Amino acid sequence: MTANNRNIRQEIKEKLNDEVLRGALGRFAEAYPISRAKAYENVEDFEALREQIKQVKLATVANIEAVSDRFEAEATKRGAKVFRAKDGNALKEYLLNLCREKGVKRIVKSKSMASEEIHLNHDLEAAGLHVKETDLGEWIIALAGHKPSHMVMPAIHLNRQQVAEYFSKELQEDIPPEIPLMVQVARQTLREEFLQADMGISGANFGVAENGAIALFTNEGNARLATSVPRIHVVIIGYEKLIPTLKDAVPIMRTLPRNATAQLMTSYMTMISGTTPTMVKVCEEWVEQEKELHIILFDNGRLDAAKDEKFKEIYQCVRCASCLNVCPVYTLVGGHVYGHIYAGGIGAILTAFLNSMGDFEKINELCIGCRRCTEICPGKIQIPDLIEELRARAVKAHGLPASVKMVFENVLANRKVFHTLLRFASIGQKPFQSGRLIRHLPLFLAGMTKDRSLPAITDKPLRDRVAKLSRKPENPSKRIAFFAGCSTDFVFPEVGEAVYKVLQDLNMEVVFPEAQSCCGKPVLGMGDKETTKRIAKQNIEAFEAAQPDVILTACPTCTETWHITYADLFKDDPEWSSRAAALAAKTREFTSLVAEEYKKAGRLNKTGGGIKVTYHDSCHMKRALGIHEQPRKLLEAADGYELVEMKDCDKCCGMAGAFGVKYTDLSMPILKQKLANIKDTGTDLVAVACPACLMQIQGGLDKQLPNVKVKHVAEIIAENLDKKQE
Amino acid sequence: MKKVCENWRDALPAGIWGPQHFEEFAARAASVAAEVIRVKTIAEIPDVLSQLVQNVSAKKIVMTENRYVKAAGLIDLFKSMQIETYTSGPDIRAHCDTADLGLSAVEFGIAETGSVCQDAYAVEDRLVSTLPPIHAVFLNSNYILPSIESAVEVFSNVFERGYLSLITGPSRTADIERVLTIGVHGPSRFIIIAVDEEVAGGEA
Ligand code: SF4
Repeated sequence: MTANNRNIRQEIKEKLNDEVLRGALGRFAEAYPISRAKAYENVEDFEALREQIKQVKLATVANIEAVSDRFEAEATKRGAKVFRAKDGNALKEYLLNLCREKGVKRIVKSKSMASEEIHLNHDLEAAGLHVKETDLGEWIIALAGHKPSHMVMPAIHLNRQQVAEYFSKELQEDIPPEIPLMVQVARQTLREEFLQADMGISGANFGVAENGAIALFTNEGNARLATSVPRIHVVIIGYEKLIPTLKDAVPIMRTLPRNATAQLMTSYMTMISGTTPTMVKVCEEWVEQEKELHIILFDNGRLDAAKDEKFKEIYQCVRCASCLNVCPVYTLVGGHVYGHIYAGGIGAILTAFLNSMGDFEKINELCIGCRRCTEICPGKIQIPDLIEELRARAVKAHGLPASVKMVFENVLANRKVFHTLLRFASIGQKPFQSGRLIRHLPLFLAGMTKDRSLPAITDKPLRDRVAKLSRKPENPSKRIAFFAGCSTDFVFPEVGEAVYKVLQDLNMEVVFPEAQSCCGKPVLGMGDKETTKRIAKQNIEAFEAAQPDVILTACPTCTETWHITYADLFKDDPEWSSRAAALAAKTREFTSLVAEEYKKAGRLNKTGGGIKVTYHDSCHMKRALGIHEQPRKLLEAADGYELVEMKDCDKCCGMAGAFGVKYTDLSMPILKQKLANIKDTGTDLVAVACPACLMQIQGGLDKQLPNVKVKHVAEIIAENLDKKQE
Repeated sequence: MKKVCENWRDALPAGIWGPQHFEEFAARAASVAAEVIRVKTIAEIPDVLSQLVQNVSAKKIVMTENRYVKAAGLIDLFKSMQIETYTSGPDIRAHCDTADLGLSAVEFGIAETGSVCQDAYAVEDRLVSTLPPIHAVFLNSNYILPSIESAVEVFSNVFERGYLSLITGPSRTADIERVLTIGVHGPSRFIIIAVDEEVAGGEA
């Protein structure tokens, strides 16, 4: 895989134009959440199960040497030969020797991702061996010469006509594109392969240290055949699949099939411990013999990951692929653009560790950080955080491109320069007419696009308006320091005005620390930790000086940055980390604070009304901050408004920071879906609580649903106050 | 024939298994296309089998010599029906691929998922259950555990070594256009014959 001459944008374009792929993935993305939910109907507590998996894996990875030693000892005691393969070459050498020694000519494989990781089939065939994939999907892509486009459904990118063509070519006869018939053809063709094979190679879904067992989940029955009929069975199992005891398998057994294929259990769940009998032909007679069992414990980067404080988390992955199924980007473009065999966000991470960092750097921007996967992952892996960390490491190793670095260090890290530039931008001055510089700024003022218009920078930012807005109550109930964030300050100052109005109505004093700047998230998102630290320090100093009771933002990303990111940034710097922590404790998000205050004041009561409004959950608001009830409560309490829920209300709108501008091709179909869902609600008003969503949805509505308006929740309740005062 | 556990009945955790879970088990099994036939006594088994054999026009059967087969006198029954029947390891291996029906016994059912647990240490069990187009199993309808968790508790006590399977419906795939299609490499029909009567011995 030569990663470095890939043209990702071109590949994405091709995938977006692949009707078969788009259709298949679109239908799948619709159907999956529903069927998955049904599979969980008799599971009481998914959260508890995934916490168990996480804890089991954390304990295992901390002791990976001891657990793998035990696994090896127990399997060996039961007649298996265990070989630890450092990398692909070691694995191949062992396997080729084994084939030579045992006179193996024909091999059947049941699915093993680890073997695909190193293109094992290619080497086996080059050595003159006859190798067949037997999982139907794997067989299809082997015939097609494709890589898997999904970890569980490798051939999801092909339709029946295409499959029939590959079958016809392979079997040299005309195979009609009828699915049941094609399945029967596969059965017959591959049946012969099983019966004649000398060796079966399988993967493993987990390995149990206490009795040396390996487990396989399959639906087709090919793993049972591959592990029962041939005289030699080779298991390829990555270290991350080990668990200490059988009991530790319970949460995996209960979540893996439900998440992977929305089944309560796969048709076959097999556990094999030690050698087992098989029938072998000796002098034309079938006689029972003990089958040879070889277990290859595969490293290939996994043991390094185990030692890595952050990336040991990949041991929690059970390869269910559900993170792909809910990923707004994967479900548009499929698995092939991720370059290697592992797709989606987790694929990007696995690729970095198991293949190469170079491959990762090409694809890392395809994670938009919407965090949908984190809600569903049975291993509780925080995929977007790991990707951000990998980006940071890539930048540390190779630095940023010079132009980006210049912008970050000289512009963003210097508030005055940055704000001066923004003011220039508002009157359309250079260098904002060329897109180059702008792309790396947090507002992405890249101008108009076909399906979405981006808003203009205001000629009077919030910071120039606050003097007029502020009025100090006699006995303020709280002193609030407002952190506006770039978007509110320079694009949507009216949101900031609404925030002032609502808070002052609650008898709070609101101040605007002048020295505040960008929160730094866009810079961190590009992996530049050092510049982010400089920006963070400026903000921390400014807000310490303001001596507030509460630091308030009306932007979930800024809230998250104050809450978590700053303390995390300085974790090796005791002084700054405690300063950041002190402020983090004071940081609040607008809707959650106001809902709390309204509740206290008895103002959070549902009112009826004629104005229908629907609410779009920002990804970060819902999944990083866990705030989704409060804004709804506020809307319902606003006089005259009635809340109407929309389908997929918490699905990303496609803005996602830099992504929305950089990958317009990808961002637009995601936005279109959102607009369609908005339209279906029949409302004329969309409420959001995030300026980035506001920008994206407003841009889309402008072009496509001009009668529908989008507003920040703060604006809606501020208008409500005005009405009341009238 | 080798077994992971010689007496599965005794291995079931006291107090939590029983016929009270059968209904849920049967419903879940049926929802994944397993066919469940419940009979009260061993004496009813020959009828069920002769009907099945006639329905599918089976001419060749491979089966393990399990306690149900013995108690119901199936070898004689099939002989009287002039059906080729194979029960020894070498014969099963030689004929499993061309047999019309495979018969075996399973140890218990799991209500949560509609699965049955097969002690498949013996190669005969694996061959008769995987290669013929139809696989029918005998299950005692009392031996039903409520959950995966309770099943793993049993494994934890008895699974020293060997080969264990949970079988949940027939072989299936959705690899082409995600269209569910039954019967890929394994059987396309999976039939559970659940017998209320305890067969002497308790051992499988
Ligand atoms: S990261 Fe989580 S959701 Fe994705 S494949 Fe792994 S276990 Fe499944």
